[in-house]
Parts: sequence; structure tokens; C-alpha cells
Amino acid sequence: MPDLVFLSLRNIFRNARRTTITVFSIVVGFAAMACFGGFIEFSFEGLRENTIRTQLGHLQIYAEGYWEKRVSDLESVLITGPEEVEERIAELPGVATVTHRLTFSGLGTAGNATVNMSVVGVDLEGEQEFSDFEILVDGRPLDPGDPEGGLIGEELRNGLGARVGDWVTVLTSSFDGVINAVDFRVAGVVRSASREYDSVFAKVPIELAQRARETDKVERIIVLLEDTGDLPELLPRIEEILAGFDRKFEIRRWDELAGFYEAVVALYTGLFRVFAGIVGVVVMFSVANTMTMAVFERTAEIGALRAIGARRSTLIAMFLFEGLGVGLIGSGLGVAASWLLAAAVEAVGGIPMPPPPGMTQGFQAYFNLTGAVLLSAFAVTMVATLVSSVYPAFAASRIRIVEALQPS
Amino acid sequence: MDIISLRAVSKSYPSADTRLQVLREVDLDVEEGEFAVVAGPSGSGKSTLLNLMGALDHPDSGAVRIDGVDLAGRSDRALANLRNEKLGFVFQSFHLIPVLTAVENVAWPLFLKGVERRRRVARSRELLTRVGLAEHMHRTPGRLSGGQRQRVAIARALACEPKILLADEPTGNLDRKTALEIMDLFASLNRDGRVTFVFSTHDPTVVSYAGRRLSLAEGKVDDEPLGVTRHEDSAHA
Repeated sequence: MPDLVFLSLRNIFRNARRTTITVFSIVVGFAAMACFGGFIEFSFEGLRENTIRTQLGHLQIYAEGYWEKRVSDLESVLITGPEEVEERIAELPGVATVTHRLTFSGLGTAGNATVNMSVVGVDLEGEQEFSDFEILVDGRPLDPGDPEGGLIGEELRNGLGARVGDWVTVLTSSFDGVINAVDFRVAGVVRSASREYDSVFAKVPIELAQRARETDKVERIIVLLEDTGDLPELLPRIEEILAGFDRKFEIRRWDELAGFYEAVVALYTGLFRVFAGIVGVVVMFSVANTMTMAVFERTAEIGALRAIGARRSTLIAMFLFEGLGVGLIGSGLGVAASWLLAAAVEAVGGIPMPPPPGMTQGFQAYFNLTGAVLLSAFAVTMVATLVSSVYPAFAASRIRIVEALQPS
Repeated sequence: MDIISLRAVSKSYPSADTRLQVLREVDLDVEEGEFAVVAGPSGSGKSTLLNLMGALDHPDSGAVRIDGVDLAGRSDRALANLRNEKLGFVFQSFHLIPVLTAVENVAWPLFLKGVERRRRVARSRELLTRVGLAEHMHRTPGRLSGGQRQRVAIARALACEPKILLADEPTGNLDRKTALEIMDLFASLNRDGRVTFVFSTHDPTVVSYAGRRLSLAEGKVDDEPLGVTRHEDSAHA
């Protein structure tokens, strides 16, 4: 077997120019796939972290039955005294912060404008980590010493016509069904990744939200980790902690809550598959052309090999090894080319991208060449080269010896 | 003992709107250790006869036996094994593998036979030394002369110690001096071992080395034993 591999490798470099062109096409295809995959991976990571750190956290903990009763009977599934749960979870290494929220909807008024609002009542001390991914465009962040301050989304500010320092009144109903109103002063205006979110979003101290709903309970406990990659390891440990309480809880991971993220992932993954398919077909044609030419050029040699005792299977293996070798060389150089491209993009500070649909700001794109991305490109390339070598290898094995040995 | 036996062998090829009958009911036996040449004008069927003897092609009808083995109905794999173990081939155009060195080319049939690497290399070196190429073992065919390439091809043909060596116009691409050297080499190999030689040729020089001439005409074989050959001459000298 090593001798056959050795012969195949030598044959690869027999027609150096043709092999170079084929390998070049594989390298270009590989690098295109890897960089596109890297761009998608970068986009996923950005969207994922944005979604987690501005809205969802990594985990949300609810009282048991929350998802069934959150609309019909929310009060019955609120959490009383969340502090003891939060303290236990916060002790785990890798947990950045644990906080709680109470959300409600209402009609916000400032001056003459009235708009729908989605108000998030937050624990200001525990919420500090969440501001990392919100961009403050005006005013100042919420301050734990300011119980009447609030932040509003940029689009909501435009809808209300409010400015920093203005009072906004939010009309809602308490859990008893009584119409209630609370006021907060606009401390700052923020911009998140989502324009839709910004058009209704307001963040106020949780005490103010509890006053509006006339309760001292919270709706959910939110856990933010230092690293998203730690989630699989920490989730069972958090479940274990929750199981130690008399009360029962439900946990939802961020990806179970982020429908938009899942839709984007599905869309981009589909795009990548189509792209990889196109690249695979181009690589297949290139390699098939090279291998077919090799078989035609070496017909007499194939005849001689058969005459001295080579079996059909030996010839098939020889040409498949050649295809495999071309694929491996192309993939190896493709990895190097992809790294060089990614490094070049890094060096120039990324590729400026416009805001995605529904988003408020553009971003600098990079190629995040993860192992999975490179493995995908490698798999597509190798499958394409092997598949395109099958027919030439089979054709070589079926050549009639006497015809192959005839002088050309 | 007959090492090659053909019985009522016919072979034809399609040609325009008819079939060209190349061999007609040919009966032929070649004994072990013989040095026979197949002579005849171009297109008379010399290569066809050699191809049938070499298990490279199948007859339309009739039976071909090599060392007692009837080739009819044998699988491709069985025929490949037979060619590898019992037959050696030398071609007019050498047909060496250009990317391999002389020693690697000679070792290749042994690889196909499954011989262990160290033994392959030792045997290849021995054969190349025997054909006078000890100094050129690590050269690829592109760096060898025509005569040297044919010597490598002869060494390759002998690698698996075949019982029969078939050569199709072995001196066809060589100058006269080199052709004589190659034929002297063949003659010495035929004397040394018990290898049966069957060559196809136009060349009277090649015929002069043979002990038997098989002349092909009109699809029939005219069997003609030869007198004292140059081969025997050189042996007695």
C-alpha cells in the first residue's frame, strides 16, 4: 500500500502545470468556503453575544408553570424572594452575574405623544453587566442611586419625542386589575442591535416596575455567564442548585428563547450549504478534468501495468489515491490561504458591513476560522475530489490491455 | 513439455463493414525453454498471437493453455495473477513508469505479487546488475538511453521469475548495435535459466537468435525449425 501511495504522489507531480492549476482551483474554492463560513461564524457569534448580553442572559429561571400561565395568570407564577436563589448560583465559578427582572407592557406618554412600550424592570446593581452591549447614545447609564431614572431605546425616544431629563408616564394595570401609572425620568437613550427592540424598549429600576404592577415579586431570574462556552458545563450544576429548593423552577437556555437568532442561523446555514455545493461542483469539474486527462495520457502505461499483473482494483486505488492527494494538497494550502486572508482582514481592521435588516448599526466583519468551519471546507473539498476521481479511476481499470498497448 | 498450447484458435477484428480474420484455427505448441520467434509482415497477426499467449486478450474460439492452465473462463483477477507470476513482457516502446527509478520499475511486479519490500529491492538490484545497469539503478527512464531502458524492461519482465518471456518487437526502437547487445542478453538469459522465449519480430537479426520460426500468413502459422542459431553459435564460441 505505501508503494501505491508513493507512486500516486509521484504521478500527481508528473504534469506540474496541470496539477498546479487544479490545486489552485481547490485552494481558491477552499479559501472561499472557509472565509464565507468564517464570516457566518463571526456573524453568529456577534448576534449570539448581543442577544445574550442585551436581552436574554444565558439562562432564565422561572417559577414552575410560568410558560403556561404567563398570559392568563402571571401573578401566580411570579418568584418570591429571588435573592437566596441568586446568591447560591452566583457562587458558582464562571457565573458573571445573577439578576432578576419584572417586565410589563403599557402606554407611554411624554408631552403629546403616546406609544406602546415594553418596560423591563431591572435590579440595577445586578444588571450592570448587561449594559456592555448597549450603546448609550445620549444621557447617562442607570445609576443604582437613582430610583426614578430610566433608559429608553433610540427609536422609542423618537416616537415619544422625549429628551434626556423629560418625564415619561407609563400607564398599565396592576395584578389586581386596577389601572395604574408610574413616572420615570429619561436618564439616557440607548441603542441595541435591533431596531424593533429599540422602538418599544424602556429599562427602569425593578422597584418602579413592582410599583406599577403592585407586587414585590419578580418574573424571572437571569443568569449571565462569563463565557457562553461554559453553558453546557454550568447548566447541570445550576439545575442541581434549584432542585435543592422547596419551590420548583423551570429553566430556559438563551437559544430556546432567541427565535430570531435561530432563524438567522438557519438562513445563513442554508446559504453556506448552497455556496459549498457550488464550490464543490467547481472543484469536482476541475479535478475530474485533470484525472481524465491523466488517464488518457497514461493509457499505454496502464496497459503495461495490467500486463505485468496489476489488477483492476490496483489501478482504481492508484487513481483514487491521486485524487485524494490532490485534494489533500489543495486543502492544506487552502487552510494556509484562509489563515492568510483572515489575518489580512484582521490587520486592516475588518470589512465594513452595513446594518443587517432590522438592525441599527453596521459592523466590522472578520473571518472567524473555527475548527468546525475548516472541517466543513475540508470535508466538501475531499468529497468533491474523491467523487470526481471515481469515474476516471473506473475508466482506467476498464481499458482493454491490447488497445492500451497499441502504439499511438 | 508444452508450456504454451493453442488449439483451433481463431481471432478476428471488426474492420469497416466486415471482420478481419487474423488467426484461423491455429494449433501451436511451444516447449519449455524454447526460443521461438513469430515472424511475418505487418498486420499478419504477430502481436495478436503474442497477446493471446500472454493472456492479454481472448480468442474468438479455441483454447489457450499456459503452463497447463486453460485461460478460458478465468476471472480478470486470476488472469492478472497468471501474468504476474508466469509471464514476463517486453514491449517495443519499453512502457516503463516514467516517475519511478530503474530499480523501482523492476520492483513493481514484485510489489503486485506481494513480495516484501526488502526482498523486492534486493531482487531488483540483482537483476539490474545482471543486465549491466548496476551504475544506473537510481535513474528514471528519462535519463536512460533506449538500450538501457530496454534492459530495465527486460529486468522487470524477469522480476517474478516467469516461465515465459514474451517480447513484441523488442529491438524495434533500438539501433543495430544496441539491438545485438539486447539479443545477446536475451540469448544468455535463455541459456542460463529455463525461461521460454517467444518474440515477434520483423528483424532477421532477432530471427537468427531463435531455434524456431513461426511464420504467420493468411491467419495460419507455418512452423519452421531453424538450424544452428547465432544464439548457439555465441554459446559455443
